Amino acid sequence: MRFSKKTMAAMLAAAMIVSAFSACGSSSGSAGTTTAAAATSAAATTAAAAAGSSDSGAAMSDSDRIISAAQAGKVGNWGLGNEYEIFALLTKYGQENKFLSQAFDMDGFDDDSITLASAMTYNELGLVQNSYEGGYGYGDSVGIIDMNNEGVAMLEDNLFCTKAFAEANPNTVKAFISASMKGWKYACENPEEAAQIVFEAGSSVSSDHQAYMASEVKKLVETDTTGSTVTDYGKMDEAAMQQTLDLAKQYISLDDSTAAEKLQALTLDDIRSTAYWTDAMAGSFDAPEKTDVSIQLKWLPQAQFMGYFVAKAKGYYDEVGLNVTIVSGGGDIGETTAVNNGTVDFGVTWVSNLISANAGGMDLLEIAQVYQRSGLVLVYKK
Amino acid sequence: MAAKVNKKRRSAVQSVVCPIIFGIALIAAWQTGLLHILLNTDEYVLPYPTRILTIMGENGDKIMTNVWASVQVAVFGLIFGSLLGYLIAIFAATFPKFGSGGLTIVSAFNAIPIVALAPVIINWTKDVSSEAEVRSTVAKVIVVTVVSMASMSVNAYRGLTELPVFSDDLMKTYAAGKLTEFTKLRLPNSVPYIFTALRVSVPGSVISALVSEYFAEYVIGVGRQIRENILIAQYSTAWAYIVTACIIGIVMYAVLMVIETIVLKKRR
Amino acid sequence: MKVIKKIIRSKLFITLVWIAVIIVIWEICAARVAEVKRTPENVLPHLSGVIDSLTSDRKINGSQTALGMVLENAGATLSRAAVGYVIGIAPGFILALLMSLSDIIEKIAFPYLMLIQFIPILGMAPIINAITGDIAVSRIVIAAILTFYPVAANTLAGFKAVRREAHELMYSYAASKLQLYTKTMIPACIPYFLTGLKISAPMAITASILVDTLQGGIGLGCLLSQSLKGAMTRYVFWDIVFFSAVIGILSFYIMGLIETLLCPYKRLEKKGS
Repeated sequence: MRFSKKTMAAMLAAAMIVSAFSACGSSSGSAGTTTAAAATSAAATTAAAAAGSSDSGAAMSDSDRIISAAQAGKVGNWGLGNEYEIFALLTKYGQENKFLSQAFDMDGFDDDSITLASAMTYNELGLVQNSYEGGYGYGDSVGIIDMNNEGVAMLEDNLFCTKAFAEANPNTVKAFISASMKGWKYACENPEEAAQIVFEAGSSVSSDHQAYMASEVKKLVETDTTGSTVTDYGKMDEAAMQQTLDLAKQYISLDDSTAAEKLQALTLDDIRSTAYWTDAMAGSFDAPEKTDVSIQLKWLPQAQFMGYFVAKAKGYYDEVGLNVTIVSGGGDIGETTAVNNGTVDFGVTWVSNLISANAGGMDLLEIAQVYQRSGLVLVYKK
Repeated sequence: MAAKVNKKRRSAVQSVVCPIIFGIALIAAWQTGLLHILLNTDEYVLPYPTRILTIMGENGDKIMTNVWASVQVAVFGLIFGSLLGYLIAIFAATFPKFGSGGLTIVSAFNAIPIVALAPVIINWTKDVSSEAEVRSTVAKVIVVTVVSMASMSVNAYRGLTELPVFSDDLMKTYAAGKLTEFTKLRLPNSVPYIFTALRVSVPGSVISALVSEYFAEYVIGVGRQIRENILIAQYSTAWAYIVTACIIGIVMYAVLMVIETIVLKKRR
Repeated sequence: MKVIKKIIRSKLFITLVWIAVIIVIWEICAARVAEVKRTPENVLPHLSGVIDSLTSDRKINGSQTALGMVLENAGATLSRAAVGYVIGIAPGFILALLMSLSDIIEKIAFPYLMLIQFIPILGMAPIINAITGDIAVSRIVIAAILTFYPVAANTLAGFKAVRREAHELMYSYAASKLQLYTKTMIPACIPYFLTGLKISAPMAITASILVDTLQGGIGLGCLLSQSLKGAMTRYVFWDIVFFSAVIGILSFYIMGLIETLLCPYKRLEKKGS
């Protein structure tokens, strides 16, 4: 009796294995449809080499740093959809697209297991430089390589919902954008107060770091990739969006061939609509169709999202007739998934994540672009 | 007599055919979208089996690379953990007074969630090697070792101490030494218990290998691929890796059962 | 007096010695780490630091101390684990009962029951979340799934162990199938059922901590991953590691206690073997 059960289970297992492996074997030759990136790298290498030789003066140049760190395999990034700008940068300098998985603290950078570590200007960079709680206190002894200056910037924190939601509730969407951008405007004008509001809203980031973060986020919201000042909060800059989409097509590699094909076919109109933002900023919208709405953040509550916390605390959402719940992120269930399955109505994500989600079959729509430039830098010890 | 054999054969055939029929029915319901209606979900979150298989087919090489990474971690961790667990059991059986307390401690380790264990161990192994691939593998193997250690030590201890009635006394009348008693009585007696332990720790080792990959520095492994793909909202690809993970578990379990049948048959 | 001494010597005392040994090793390592690393609390903090963080009244976020925060989140996680656990028990027991009643059901269900434990549940979690549409519900569902397997497997083993002798005896009494089950099978499988419960109690807790890490909100796992990601002092992480270990062990012992309470004839299965 027992014996027969075992053989039976084993046979079942064997059958499953055989079927699975025959599936793998039959078409394993056709793998690798998504590596178009290599071709562009050759041209970039020569350019990089030229650039490298021109400023080989006092210290190491940025290109030398990138090349030597890449060859030592000591470029760090968190991965999980945060790595595309790093890939673009590595390709630009003719290096292999590989990185070390970086933890969410900067210990790896501190103990030199990572020599070029990814950092967001408003978060990790502050921890590396400052010496408040959780900081490493490097001060000016570290330097940064800015993705915006390297021409590989991809836009980050935006505001999005599903296409279906936007079509069904246009006034809710416009009202939400309008109040949120008012919140962002106030937060950028009063970063210290905004930091305090976020801290009181239950963030567990220390208030010192929160204040630092607010001041850095302000720069990202008010400056574009070329360094010019932006006064229209949440505007979708055509050129920067296009660059983000182009880089995404080059560096997001998807194993699913259907999704990979869809990715290559995406245009800006598939991922964003400027109409809602334009109306919202002009104030031309009616009473919202849905009044109780929620927004999921990309990460834990912190000044990175201060605009929404300020809009809530200052009653801007109430003014337009919305009752907003802010849901914290930071887990494996991404904001794209949460918005797509209707758990929440709005979300904050990086444009590249929205692009890969749409390539994978979601129908998401960016309705405002809060961060106007990339906040990602590579930090190194001088 | 013949009727009995026939009945036995029919029962064996049934026990293979029935689950397969059920499986086919399940997959059919899945493929035709019936399952989606029942679970109230869409083909995006729960992609069709054909789509999953297509992705598995298209990425055979990449999947195999990740499978090897995960299998290595699971197998080495399982071996080290089981050996260590068995040694602890021997220690506990030889020094029962002091050992049983140690056993309690070991099983306490089991209660620590892997999510907490994995990042701690990855931090501890930072200085093992300058190669991220090596130190990540070491960290992952240690996680699996710790997880598989507990069930082996507890079960093997039972095998080494819960002896057949009077066998202990029989050995004494033979004037057998401690070593003889150990090799001739306790060790053979513990063999079935070893397999009991392995039946728990084989699936455990696979799952903990996958979870430890989530936190590892070096990006590789079936578990890591599941996570990466879910985070960038590639559910079809994530499913391909979930299916792969199930297959790894089943294969390892099947191998275990084959070994178990051979070993235990020989004993009779 | 001597008897008491002996009892202390035999079990508790020795466990305490072991704990002391581990503490000493830990502290030696921690001292070494403190010398070498700039952020020793990320690798191996002194136990005193962990205790300090629990007793300090410094507010970590706007309103709570470390201890308050851990306890509040633990409450959420443990209640979810408990609900999932209870939900998982019933179908586990019923499936085992059905499997012992019908050969066909057993043959169909058994391989799939085995299959459940090979599914990487953390990978499945976002998918379950997408299906249920609510993170709290999916956390409970996952705890239930993980409880389900050990309960069903152990209870089935219990039914099987009875089968041979008791079965025949009841047949000779001309007992009906209902009588067979209420009088022999179910009482006899209770020790096995309880073993299943005992194994799955820490599993349900571990699982709900694991599943917490999937999304924000309240829960021990959320707190754990947030602290790991640098959202708050790293000591919160260590607090949770120790706390969850203690809870896991406690749950095992509590189930053991219930076991001895419910069936003083606990070692009945020995008779069968």
